[in-house]
Amino acid sequence: MTERERADTGSYSETARAFCPRRACVPADVADPLGALSETLGPGPFSLVLLFVTPALPLEPLVSEAGARFPRAAICGCTTSGEITGEGYVQGRIVAFAFPAPGFAVETLVIEGLDQLDTRALIADLLTARQALARRAEQHRNELAILLVDGLSGQEDALVAALSGGLGPVPMVGGSAGDGGVFERTLLFCDGRILENAAVLCLLRSACEARSFSFDHMHASEARMVVTSADPANRIVARINDEPAALEYARLVGVPADQLSSVVFAAHPVLVRAGGRHHVRAIQHAGADHSLCFFAAIDEGVVLTLAEPEDIATHLEAELARLSQQRAPSAILGFDCIFRRIEAEGRQKTGEVSRILARHQVAGFSTYGEQIGAMHVNQTLTGVAFYPPESVA
Amino acid sequence: MNGPLPPALSALIAPGDSVARQNEKLLRIAEVLIRHAEEMTEDRGAAYAQFQRAAMLEDQVRARTRDLERALDLLNASNAQLADATREKEAARQNLAAAIETVQEGFALFDAQDVLVMCNSRFNALLPDIREHLVPGLTFESYLDLAAGSMHLGMADGMTPADWIAMRRRRHEEHHFILTQQMGRDRWVQVSEHRTRDGGTVILQTEVTDLIRAERAARGRMLDDQAQILRATLEHLRLGVCIFDARLHLLGWNGRLSEMLTLPRTRLREGMHFDHLLEQVQGQFVFPPGLSAYRLADWVRSVRRKENFSIEVTREGGAQIYAIFAQELPDGGFVMSLDDVSAERAALAALSRANETLEARVMERTLELEDALSQAERANASRARFVAAASHDLLQPLSAAKLYLASLSDEIEGASSARTLDKAQSALGSVEAILGALLDISRLESGNASVTVEAIALGPLFRQLRDEFTPLAALKGLELVMRPVEASVLSDRAYLRRILQNLISNAIRYTEKGRVFVGLRRRGPLWVAEVRDSGPGIAEPDQDLIFQEFHRVNGKASASEGMGLGLAIVERAASLLGHPLSLRSAPGCGSTFSLGLRPAREAPPMAEQGTAMGAGICAYPGGLLVLLVENDEGLSRAMAQLLEKWGVTVLDVASGEEALELVEATGIAPDRCLIDYQLGEGMDGLDCLEALRARFGPDLPARLVTADRSPEMRARADALGAEILAKPILPAALSTFLFGPVS
Repeated sequence: MTERERADTGSYSETARAFCPRRACVPADVADPLGALSETLGPGPFSLVLLFVTPALPLEPLVSEAGARFPRAAICGCTTSGEITGEGYVQGRIVAFAFPAPGFAVETLVIEGLDQLDTRALIADLLTARQALARRAEQHRNELAILLVDGLSGQEDALVAALSGGLGPVPMVGGSAGDGGVFERTLLFCDGRILENAAVLCLLRSACEARSFSFDHMHASEARMVVTSADPANRIVARINDEPAALEYARLVGVPADQLSSVVFAAHPVLVRAGGRHHVRAIQHAGADHSLCFFAAIDEGVVLTLAEPEDIATHLEAELARLSQQRAPSAILGFDCIFRRIEAEGRQKTGEVSRILARHQVAGFSTYGEQIGAMHVNQTLTGVAFYPPESVA
Repeated sequence: MNGPLPPALSALIAPGDSVARQNEKLLRIAEVLIRHAEEMTEDRGAAYAQFQRAAMLEDQVRARTRDLERALDLLNASNAQLADATREKEAARQNLAAAIETVQEGFALFDAQDVLVMCNSRFNALLPDIREHLVPGLTFESYLDLAAGSMHLGMADGMTPADWIAMRRRRHEEHHFILTQQMGRDRWVQVSEHRTRDGGTVILQTEVTDLIRAERAARGRMLDDQAQILRATLEHLRLGVCIFDARLHLLGWNGRLSEMLTLPRTRLREGMHFDHLLEQVQGQFVFPPGLSAYRLADWVRSVRRKENFSIEVTREGGAQIYAIFAQELPDGGFVMSLDDVSAERAALAALSRANETLEARVMERTLELEDALSQAERANASRARFVAAASHDLLQPLSAAKLYLASLSDEIEGASSARTLDKAQSALGSVEAILGALLDISRLESGNASVTVEAIALGPLFRQLRDEFTPLAALKGLELVMRPVEASVLSDRAYLRRILQNLISNAIRYTEKGRVFVGLRRRGPLWVAEVRDSGPGIAEPDQDLIFQEFHRVNGKASASEGMGLGLAIVERAASLLGHPLSLRSAPGCGSTFSLGLRPAREAPPMAEQGTAMGAGICAYPGGLLVLLVENDEGLSRAMAQLLEKWGVTVLDVASGEEALELVEATGIAPDRCLIDYQLGEGMDGLDCLEALRARFGPDLPARLVTADRSPEMRARADALGAEILAKPILPAALSTFLFGPVS
């Protein structure tokens, strides 16, 4: 049993603590996890408490009791594929990321029926929510949107595209809920309701400066392939280079087709080029007829480039250090792709990566996909760094 | 297609592919690429297209759209706010309507132009005949006309609808007012008007019927409460109380009354007539004679019952006594109370009995005290008897001595013998005077002096005194001045005379030259007799001493001038008679004695009585025969004289033999025997007593008189059982022997 994490707001003063997000983490099997979390987080009130919950724990009792435990706070969360805490990569935990009411004003928007999204209505709702929040908390200059979305809905691309229409300049980061690598059912919850095929968007206005980021450590190689047959609706690529997709991928990666696994997919993602940049397209699994199922949108005629990864730990350290260049964030909310954890494990870098994450105050969970701005991306660490308000730093 | 593929493409082709397969692949690739490039926007690839667009927008468009976004935001915000505002306005309107509908009051709002904006359904709900006309757009004036025309609007007496409209119009100008308006039958509404800030008018109607009814009920309840308190008070009283109204009907009564009247409660009922009640109970009571029940009935019927009626009656055949008290009430009725005063009366009777017992005891004690007093008086009397006897014992031999001296003066010859005889006579006179004074003092002191207070004319008394003392004063060369007076005073003749004699002789005695003045003057209610001398005067410290016995201011005074008893007698006699005596004197200024005398109302009898000084011994009842055996002749005679004075018959013999001869010869049996022990020759006293007893029996009362206290004599006497009277014989002991002890 790991020790309980102290609600950490970095090295800032108590005044900053009252404004900045706080983190807490408990094993899922303690008697009163909410009580323990509440105790670690310290006195409220909070405007929003995000809970990232191991799929090992039944959600129902937790969700129904959370409201009473954190009165006046919006309580949102999802299941994970592993949690990130002060110890780095862990499992079987509940991670709380709480936003104190003095520092944050919050509006939550529950989006249900992702497969039948009404973009116009969504944008209208989103605008109304944003305006209500703006009226309520005009004094907080910094806007931010945090999205949690069903990781098996396959609708993240459409959702974020629709949301971008209503979000305008508001930076958005998000993570797709996980289910511990089982790929059967990912759940969300918001204010006592457990949701599926849904997303929860948290709109925040804050006194804290929030800087969103998304980085991967992939470089494009010379090896390219063209999707010659695909089922875009299901993110399934049937044929590549007019060969069965999995066989062609295995040939190009240099792995026997019967040895394809998550570790191989994590170590050898493919990239697509868009907007002058390469973006990782992570392969979820190899399906029937040697097809490949992807974690993000795919289409026929798309050129896939095999990625050549940098050292994950070195790259992570460099990127996180850049976030602390001017001043250190008090907390970092991180949505880390499950394949990064798998890759680190495959390369025996888990401990190193964990230490780096811990040192940089990252809390979050391992996702089935990340959202940054209007994009749904794969195999990144996407998140937001919170800096105490200049006035109280 | 010939030659190797460029490196960028070589990876697309598996190394083992045939050329035909290679071509097939490349063709397929080319096809999908072309289609992808052309059909980017088609639905099939929508998701990826969106991603692609987002990736492209990500960097370039986003920056550009930011401005647009901001404008849009503002617009959206405005729109949203407008929508909000509209919604809020509508909501507010609905809320307001709902709110004023939910309030219990009637509510109407007129705008600044006095036009009805809205009203709720409760507004004028009690005027149902005009209700439907109360719609927005109605002017205030029209509203007043409507309301005044309603058949349900209640108006004060004498107020016309026009008056009402005028009143409301006038009140409407006041901006704020409240009035209570009747609407419908016995329903009341409090109407208030308030001017709003923008000049509109709000009318509130609150139904206060309940309040007014509750107030009425409360007033009723309060009366009920008071009645209950009165009821409880009545029940609390120990008195039986009943109240009748002016028509003599029973209004109220308490439980005690029915107990006292021994009437079942059911027989007492409200409204019953007094006569009926009286009939039922009058047989129970005995009214005092002359105060029959009809007197009560008469009082009850009298038109003006100014006087309260009060009577005490006794329960027929019982011990209870009731005090009936009736009093007029202000409304013409009356209240009557019955008080059980049996205990008080019983207490009074007990008190009276106790009083009687007390009086009896007082009487008893008084009698005891009287007994004690008479005993004391008898004791005093025996003292007086002693004094008299003693003086008699002294005075008798003194008188005898003076007589013997007088008879001697005839016989003796020779001047020196005669002078000696004169001196002896003078000395005896002094002794006589001293003894007289002592007797006086003794009598005065014992309080046993017999005093007869009567009216005394002072004129003759003063004349006698002047005649008596003028020669004495002249002898000392003094002038005695006594004014003739004509006044009568209340006093004892003898003592007054003695007081004045002593004062005058005292004055003459101590005054060497000049004169003595005796006068009478009036001072207030008293006559004051004054004896003033020009003597040496008496110093203040001595002024009290001179009234003591045997005190003489001037020690040189001769024995013949008295022993200083004069002023002591004066002081005691004045005190006895209640005559205030005072002395005014100072050394060298003479002395003035004043004696206050109460004037007599009636003139005294003209005849002057002689003085009765010295008379004091009571006469004892005679018949007692005493045999006196005494060989000493003098003693025998003196004893005989005394006994004869007490009224006793004395047979005196000188010897025992003589005594025996006498009783032998005469046959007389003496009542008492006094036998001297030493009888000279022959038989002695005891022999004689023995012989007498032999003749008269052993119970013969006898006393052996002797001065012999020898044991053998005592032994002989005891042997004979003879009682002894020791010499010198005390007259009291003698008296006790003769007459028995003083009880």
